[in-house]
Amino acid sequence: MIEVKDIRKRYRRRDVLNGVSFTAAKGEITCLIGVNGAGKSTILKAIMGLTPISGGSIHIDEQSLRPQLYEKIAFVPDHLTMPSGMKLSEAIKFMADFYDSWNNARARELMQFFRLNYSDKIGSLSKGTAAKFNLLLGLGQDSDYLLMDEPFSGIDLFSREAIANVFTSDLIEGRGVLLTTHEIGELEHLIDKAVLLQDGKVSRAFNCEEMRYEEGKSVIDVMREVYRA
Amino acid sequence: MNRYLKLFHMEVHRFRWMLAILMGITAACQISALIWTLTKELYRRREPVPQDIGNTFQVSAPEQLTFEWAMANNQLLFILPILICISVLALYIFFIWYRDWIGRHTFIYRLLVLPTARRNLYLAKISAFLLFVFGFVSFQLVLMPILNVIFKLIVPADQRADSHIVDAISRNLALVELIPRQFEQFLYYYGMGTIAVLAIFTAILLERSYRRLGILYGVLYLSGCVLAVMSPSLLFDSRHPYLYPNELYAAELIMFVFVLCISVWLGIRLLAKKITV
Repeated sequence: MIEVKDIRKRYRRRDVLNGVSFTAAKGEITCLIGVNGAGKSTILKAIMGLTPISGGSIHIDEQSLRPQLYEKIAFVPDHLTMPSGMKLSEAIKFMADFYDSWNNARARELMQFFRLNYSDKIGSLSKGTAAKFNLLLGLGQDSDYLLMDEPFSGIDLFSREAIANVFTSDLIEGRGVLLTTHEIGELEHLIDKAVLLQDGKVSRAFNCEEMRYEEGKSVIDVMREVYRA
Repeated sequence: MNRYLKLFHMEVHRFRWMLAILMGITAACQISALIWTLTKELYRRREPVPQDIGNTFQVSAPEQLTFEWAMANNQLLFILPILICISVLALYIFFIWYRDWIGRHTFIYRLLVLPTARRNLYLAKISAFLLFVFGFVSFQLVLMPILNVIFKLIVPADQRADSHIVDAISRNLALVELIPRQFEQFLYYYGMGTIAVLAIFTAILLERSYRRLGILYGVLYLSGCVLAVMSPSLLFDSRHPYLYPNELYAAELIMFVFVLCISVWLGIRLLAKKITV
C-alpha cells in the first residue's frame, strides 16, 4: 500500500501541499482529482522522490522510499521522458538494462497492441503515440504500483480509447494504480477510489462504488459539490 | 557498480560524436598546418627567393629541418583546435547536466527514478567528463608520433635531422601547457581542473535544487571555493612569511582536498535529497 501521511510542500511562498494524507491500495485504481494547480502532480513527484517535501511521510509497503523500491513502483509522467534522439528500440533496451523488473515479452506485446515501430525516434512521435509509448514504459515493468500523471491529457480520441482499454485489461490487474486527472470523463467507471484535492488539501476521499450505492452520487456529482461550494 | 558502469557508458555514448568531431578537427588542423609549413619551406629551398623576402624566414629555418622546428613554427594552427576543444569541454560541464532538463522529453525524470543510488549518476557524469578530457590529451599524444611520421614522409632524409617528440612538445606553446613535462605539474594542473569541475557541478546542482535562489547559492559556493583555495596564499603572503614554502604548499593542498571533499559530498547529497524536477 502507498501511504501518504500529512505531506507538506511550500513553493515560492505558497503552500502547494498542506497536510495531504491518503492511501492507495494494491489491486485498486485510485484517482487524484483536482483543478489545475491543486498539487496532484506534485504528490506523484513527491512519492517518486522527484521533489523534496517539507514535512510528512510517504511509505510504500511500510518502507520509506529508497532506490531499490523503483523496481516495485513505475511512474508514467505527463510527458515522455526519454531523449528525443533515441529510437523506441533503444529506449526499450535502456529500460531492460536498468530494471530487473522489466518484462521484455510484455513490452513486445504492447508494441504490437499500440502499433508502435521500433525504428521510430522519440522526437518524431506525435503526442498520442508518445503517450502510448510512455504508458508502455510504465507497464513494461513487473511493478506492484503504477503512478500515472494525467494519462489522457491533450491526446486524440483514438489514443485515449487505446489507453482506456489498458485499464480494463489484465495489464493492470493486481497492481495498485494511482493516477491524476482534472477531467474525470471516461475514467469514472474505471476507478475504485477518488481523492479530491483543493488548495493543497484533501477535501474528500471516498470509495466510488460505496458512494454510488449509499448516496446515489457519481464522482462528478461529488466534484460539483466540492468545487462549486 | 554494474549500474554505475551502464550510466557511465551511456554518458560516453551520448558525447561520442562530439568527441570524434573535436578529435577530427584537431587532427585535420594540425596535420594540414604541418604539411603546409613543410611544403612551403621545401619550396623556398628549391626555388630561388628574392633576398629580402627569404632572409626573414632563413633566420628561423635551420640547415637541416627538425620536427621540433616544425612544431615551433606552427603555433596558431596548433593552439586553435586545442582552444576549440577546451571551450567545448568547458561548455559541456554545464550541458552534461542541463541537457537532461531541457527539451520536450526531460530525461532527468527517468534518470532519477532508476533503481540505483543517485550518486552513481553523479559519479558517471564526472568520470565520463574526465574520460573526455584525458581522452583528448591522449589523442594529442597519439597524434604526435603520427605528425612525426608525416614530417619524415615530406622532408627528404638529407634535409632533416632527428629530434625528440618531448622537445617538439616543449617548443609549442599550446602543447607544453596541455602536456606538462613534469608529472607533478601534470597532477597539479589536472587535479586543480578536476576540483574546479566538481565545484561547478555542485553549483549547478544548487541551482537545480533551489532554482532562482540556487543561482545565488551557486555563485556564493564557487566564490567560497576560490577563497578557500587562495586563503593560505592570502593570509601568509611574502610580506608576512610565517610559513615555509613547503608548509604553504601543504596548506594549499589541504584546502584543495577540502574543497574536493565538500563538493563531492554536497553534490551527491543535493542529488539524493534536494533535487527537484
